[in-house]
Amino acid sequence: MDSLNALLEGFATALQPQYLLYALFGVFIGTAVGVLPGIGPAMTVALLLPLTYSLDPTGALIVFAGIYYGGMYGGSTTSILLNTPGESSSIVTALEGNRMAKAGRGAAALATAAIGSFVAGTAATLALTFLAPGIAKLAVQLGPADYFALIVVAFLTVGALLGSSVPRGLVSLGLGLLLGLVGTEVLSGQQRYTFGIASLADGIDVVLIAVGLFALGETLYVASRLRHGAVRVIPVTRGWRNWMTRRDWRRSWRPWLRGTAIGFPIGTIPAGGADVATFLSYATERKLARGNARAEFGRGAIEGVAGPEAANNAAAAGVLVPLLTLGLPTTATAAIIISAFQSYGIRPGPMLFENQSGLVWALIASLYIGNVMLLVLNLPLVGMWVKVLRIPRPYLYAGILAFAGLGAYALHFNVFDTLILLAIGLVGFLMRRYGYPVAPMVVGGILGPMAEEQLRKAMAISQGDLSYLVHSPFAIIAYSTLAVIIVLGVWLKRRQARLEATAPEPITASLPAWEEADR
Amino acid sequence: MTSPAPAPRDATASGGAPASAPVRAPIGEFVFAGVCAALGVYAIVGAGFIRVPPGSASVLGPRVFPYAVGLLLVAASVAVIVQVARGHRGVPDDGEDIDPDAPTDWLTVAKLVACFLTQLLLIEWAGWPFAVMVLFGGAAWSLGAKRWWAALLIGLGLGLTTQLVFGAWLGLSLPAGPLLDWIPIFHG
Repeated sequence: MDSLNALLEGFATALQPQYLLYALFGVFIGTAVGVLPGIGPAMTVALLLPLTYSLDPTGALIVFAGIYYGGMYGGSTTSILLNTPGESSSIVTALEGNRMAKAGRGAAALATAAIGSFVAGTAATLALTFLAPGIAKLAVQLGPADYFALIVVAFLTVGALLGSSVPRGLVSLGLGLLLGLVGTEVLSGQQRYTFGIASLADGIDVVLIAVGLFALGETLYVASRLRHGAVRVIPVTRGWRNWMTRRDWRRSWRPWLRGTAIGFPIGTIPAGGADVATFLSYATERKLARGNARAEFGRGAIEGVAGPEAANNAAAAGVLVPLLTLGLPTTATAAIIISAFQSYGIRPGPMLFENQSGLVWALIASLYIGNVMLLVLNLPLVGMWVKVLRIPRPYLYAGILAFAGLGAYALHFNVFDTLILLAIGLVGFLMRRYGYPVAPMVVGGILGPMAEEQLRKAMAISQGDLSYLVHSPFAIIAYSTLAVIIVLGVWLKRRQARLEATAPEPITASLPAWEEADR
Repeated sequence: MTSPAPAPRDATASGGAPASAPVRAPIGEFVFAGVCAALGVYAIVGAGFIRVPPGSASVLGPRVFPYAVGLLLVAASVAVIVQVARGHRGVPDDGEDIDPDAPTDWLTVAKLVACFLTQLLLIEWAGWPFAVMVLFGGAAWSLGAKRWWAALLIGLGLGLTTQLVFGAWLGLSLPAGPLLDWIPIFHG
């Protein structure tokens, strides 16, 4: 049991007091920022990148793992407790969780989400522990043509499957690839698209793309259509007795396990990340529900919170498999984490488990630790997260802008980066305004240079013979899987769209009580 | 509070939602897609100007990938333009703080951009804490904060805190500015 030993060593590192503190700091900040409305996990990670500029790699990655998992936990609190009519269908947890909260069962919804996330996160991290080293061993044998095939798969699945339409996803991908081209080209040392500006010769840092699109672009977009007036948070009854009844447990454990089983595999393949997994889990639970529970779907069924939340966290862990073993980000968040690795000169991929095994295993161990911390932090501290939810929006978004500015300036201590950030932020705003997904752009910006490098290596080996790209069985499998994934993904999206169309309307009329009373 | 009936959604994989009741020519959409196509054309034209070092050993030069990216961008943008022309409009993003019925408030966006632009001058002239004060205060005011002076004060507090945490404690060299440079703690 090689990996077990390695994992134990990882624990030995991660349990050192200073790293425990880093992990605690990460999950705490991750949850706090994740709770903030409008800030998804990708933006959380992007905004907090500057935190790691001066930590050692192990510490930084442990903080990041905490932020990554914490952001996921925090997001569910937001969708359960924040009342936003008209929008709730886009986040599956809000579908049932928000209605449970309105019916006075918010505590149970939060508890099943948190415990389900813990169960799924732990199970999926276990799967990661035992799967990843094997995949890394296989991956070492892959050649440039195989890598190119994998990257093409990632491009097209992320580009075609995220967002509402295929061409829009591809435009977004193309913009990212174009940004990735700017700078000095590695193999021949030629400058491309730099306009002779010295600061551009090093290329556009991925941090700028991520922070610009997620933090700045999102803020500008929200500002353009801000919901004014008081923030309405649904109150939660205090006390652990209210968390979950025996019946809630009985109804929750199966969805947790099913959600994990659905989420992890979907997370590992480049199929658009957690969104697909949560929707699939929700559809499954709805189909499997019997009797009372069936009638409750649409009005606050606990299964509809437990399953998707578990799937969400399992998928988050699943995303780490291709990230760590192949160096392939399959979601925008993963793409930003890769850029964190790169800022230390560490390249995720098959060699990671050999060259940096101490670091990787400490990171994986910290995932287990972070999960436990999150469970402990989340439930008892709900009152504090509710306060975070109430931050007046003008201050919240002003703060996001300030941190985005910090992230850009602290890169090279040069205001030119601030200017680039603003330009990318404006593009991100327009993309949201006109319905383009932004995630493919981030993925394109990170994977574009890698794709070119692998392609040119492959062509150098084959002396320009294009058929070399499909000479290995692996590449053939990758391209045929691509076809299957795209067909499957389009089918899933249609299903999801149908589900959204049939989702019953929230019952708001019968629930006047919580609007006034907020303890 | 009554929630308005949500607009019918048709987010199928092949197109956005069909245009809803008040039909206005989607000029913005055409312009954005057009600019993207123009960027693609620029990428293709620009690729021709990339210098290929003579006698380079690599089979695939530094131009090939840019050509491919440009082509992708042009093709995808044209496809979007065709979609929009056929009535498949883009579906704007949802969000917790977004009012689905509000029209785009360009003025606020312009104000925020202006606030952000002050960073270009202020960070190096006045120092990081004051740059944050102006950015935070200005942005909060643009977004409708009631007391502008409170926003400025919070901004100053945030600026000083980040200066201490990142500049002094974590060792990032944020400029403290002429007003604070004489205080040793801000040197880090």
